[in-house]
Amino acid sequence: MASLYLHIPFCKTKCCYCDFNSSAGKEALYEPYLAALEREIAGMAIEGNRGALATLFIGGGTPTVLTSAQLVHLIKQVEGLFGFTGDIEITLEANPGTVRESDLIALREGGVNRLSFGVQSFNDQELCILGRCHTCREAEQAVRAAHQAGFKNINLDLMYGLPGQDGDSWQRSLDTAISLTPKHLSLYQLTIEPATPLEGYIDTGNLSLPDEDEILEMDAVTDQFCQETGMKKYEISNYAELGFECRHNINYWRNREYFAAGAGSVSYLKGVRDKRVADPAQYIDLINRGGSAVVESEELSQEASFRETVVMGLRMTQGVSLRELYDRYTIDLKEHYGDTLSRLIGLLLLRLTEDRLHITEKGFPLANRIMAELV
Amino acid sequence: MMNNIRNFSIIAHIDHGKSTLADRMIQHCNLVSDREFKDQILDSMAIERERGITIKSQTICLPFTAKDGKLYTLNLIDTPGHVDFSYEVSRALTSCEGALLLIDAAQGVEAQTLANLYLAMDNDLEIIPVINKIDLPSAEPETVALQIDEDLGLDSELVQFCSAKTGKGVTEILEAIVQLLPPPEGDPASQLQALIFDADYDPFRGTIISIRVINGTVKPRDIIRFMSNGREYKVEEVGLFKLSREPQKQLSAGQVGYILAGIKTVEDTRPGDTITLKDDPCSEPLAGFKKVQQVVFSSIYPIATDEYEDLAAALEKLKLNDAALTFEKDSSVALGFGFRCGFLGLLHLEVIQERLEREFDIALILTVPSVQYTFLLADGTEKKVDNPAHFPDPSHIDRIEEPFIKATILIPERYMGVVMTLCMDRRGENTNFHYPMPGRIEFQCELPLAEVIYDFYDRLKSVTQGYGSFDYEMIDYRKSDLVKLDILVNGEIVDALSQLVHRNNARARGLHACEMLKEEIPRQMFKIAIQAAIGGTIIGRTNVSAMRKDVTAKCYGGDITRKRKLLEKQKAGKKRMKTVGNVDIPQNAFLSVLKSDQ
Repeated sequence: MASLYLHIPFCKTKCCYCDFNSSAGKEALYEPYLAALEREIAGMAIEGNRGALATLFIGGGTPTVLTSAQLVHLIKQVEGLFGFTGDIEITLEANPGTVRESDLIALREGGVNRLSFGVQSFNDQELCILGRCHTCREAEQAVRAAHQAGFKNINLDLMYGLPGQDGDSWQRSLDTAISLTPKHLSLYQLTIEPATPLEGYIDTGNLSLPDEDEILEMDAVTDQFCQETGMKKYEISNYAELGFECRHNINYWRNREYFAAGAGSVSYLKGVRDKRVADPAQYIDLINRGGSAVVESEELSQEASFRETVVMGLRMTQGVSLRELYDRYTIDLKEHYGDTLSRLIGLLLLRLTEDRLHITEKGFPLANRIMAELV
Repeated sequence: MMNNIRNFSIIAHIDHGKSTLADRMIQHCNLVSDREFKDQILDSMAIERERGITIKSQTICLPFTAKDGKLYTLNLIDTPGHVDFSYEVSRALTSCEGALLLIDAAQGVEAQTLANLYLAMDNDLEIIPVINKIDLPSAEPETVALQIDEDLGLDSELVQFCSAKTGKGVTEILEAIVQLLPPPEGDPASQLQALIFDADYDPFRGTIISIRVINGTVKPRDIIRFMSNGREYKVEEVGLFKLSREPQKQLSAGQVGYILAGIKTVEDTRPGDTITLKDDPCSEPLAGFKKVQQVVFSSIYPIATDEYEDLAAALEKLKLNDAALTFEKDSSVALGFGFRCGFLGLLHLEVIQERLEREFDIALILTVPSVQYTFLLADGTEKKVDNPAHFPDPSHIDRIEEPFIKATILIPERYMGVVMTLCMDRRGENTNFHYPMPGRIEFQCELPLAEVIYDFYDRLKSVTQGYGSFDYEMIDYRKSDLVKLDILVNGEIVDALSQLVHRNNARARGLHACEMLKEEIPRQMFKIAIQAAIGGTIIGRTNVSAMRKDVTAKCYGGDITRKRKLLEKQKAGKKRMKTVGNVDIPQNAFLSVLKSDQ
């Protein structure tokens, strides 16, 4: 299965919690960036017979700062170079503040079949604190418009653990979300990333985060919500109706290969993880000189890669398959982890069935502790 | 030839600028080019440089042409400044005819300075007072000069003023050494008497013995004998300490230098011992030899149990140039195999710990340091115990004795009250004081050594805002009432945290240990109970609540490397902890129980 990630490192405004590779106010770079991106993709496709793509993910940043025509053109280019499988999943990340219905129709017709909206919250006060450029009313409208445009597979990103948020407010955001009939939800606990404005607000005491008890209460709200709505957790932060799990992301968690293009993007091919230069202007420059934009490469030993695959796989509720791991690495998981594994199983944090190892419900809140023992 | 030699030491309190002055002298005598020069050139160990202290003695031979046009050899014997190493200092002073008494122009005289000055006077050394740091805005050189005259009874005519930092006054000091210090005496033709004042180790050549030849002559191929143990070796090389070793045809009376004799066992080379020749031995050894006494004991364990062999090898290596370190095998239920080590004091312990971790890259856990107690048992036998694990059955104990020291503390008058309180809190007895100079008090107090090894010096510095200085000597053993304090983590006794404490302090120490451990033990996936117990009775308890959430919310294709590295870091952090039962206890926790809560 071939997968491709394309990165659009632009946003209308930069949110205060965000440490992704994206920046606002670079409209002048959109055209040259797209040209460079297409050039990079063309170079990749020429390198050899890659097989048709089964998933394509256009993320950011905010890809929808580009026009639908630009995006559709990009998708056509990719299709021409790689080819698509019949059931390809094409995901586009969209900001509810940057899409109109006409754009959505064009995108749907242009091949996008999965839309991922960065809604974050259905509470205007919380949106304001996060520095989002849309209101919750606009978000609701955008999602309805997407339905109108014919999108069947819609994801909403929501965040919890926000400053000032409590269990009730989280419940209301979830309720609003489900009323919009998404097939998929990504529910992220807010992480305070270093050197973001939000970190500054927290450090100076201008904002404060919910404490551990309140976070756990929100987790309980989420669990209850899933039981009532039939949304099924399949990864630490991802929930879907059966059959609507994101295939592109599952490919990451299974630690399989993927292509990538664009500033700051990371590809993983033949055991090598390549990271491209983050700055879009530098990226354009490097590509236009006919060179590679790769600035960091990592190739792990067989054993380290095995451990990474285990840790990534455990993010999913289905965990990892021992047989698959053995086929891929000729390493026996039970033998490899020995006492560490028995101890974690004994603590009821991991469970081992005949062929699969997975984190238990009790273990998920402590996933990092478990993974730190296995990495 | 002896007339052109001057052997001298520098006596100074920590931070009064001894190493800097040595640096300037070395530069002045052109022993090293400015390009090759680095600060604290004699302090070669990383830990010495970082802490700005001298741990090992170093000797340097400085060629100096004086005003009279003659070339002199000035042997500077640099000595450790800390009370833990005072025996080394005393040996070094015995090798000299004179000493520079270095005093900070802003700080004045300190206890350590006085202690070493008395030591120098006992050795009949000629003293040249040097007032350093005269370039400081807060310098009061005239006042300090007056102190030297009136309080120390030294001739103020001889006082030299300098700034070791800028180099001002350094030529005058070198000139004063030539003019004021006597040349060595002794007879090169008589039987060999050479004093060992230090020993170092070279992996290729064996032990490097630092000696002062008092009488006689020693040269390669001589058979030498150590008078304390009768061991004999054939001399391979003799020489002088320039910046590197410089071989000579011979060393004779008055000279300071080294001997290489292929010696691989460091125990044979004891500072303070006398070397003579096998074929023509002297009749008497030089006076003053004593075996160094370890006063603080602690067990050292590798965090990774499979590093035990590495630790053994590392200790063997350290022992080669640190004869004062002793160690023997030890084992702990909680920590596995390790070594029970003896140290000269707490600084010595810290130095060894740091060197093991840095030079040998072994992560360690040290158990609570202890002094050595004497237990007189009901059956009339006597038992020396320095390890809580060997605490005898209380019903068999007739009487316990613990070592006492006499502490000398020098403070500005205004700190008298707080220092008195501190000493009383530490079970001080028989205090007395006098005024060695106006405004300054020399306070003496007899204290249990056990109360001093913990954090006494830190506390003293703290309550006197850095003005208090401290020196001590062992006096005797006195009756004591000890109990064994145990710490339980989730119901299991962590033997490495057990300590022997005075009954009156046991409860407070136990509660304090619980509190400190609560701070140091990170939250884990379950609740942790920390308890303090004496003989099975729980006297204190704290809890570390369970970590309930630790998850990375997002991890996609672009994050994998970074998130994996974060997990690896978390894993490495855990590796530096010791797992006892199911609980991960960080290295720091083991020493934290010693820290004062005030």
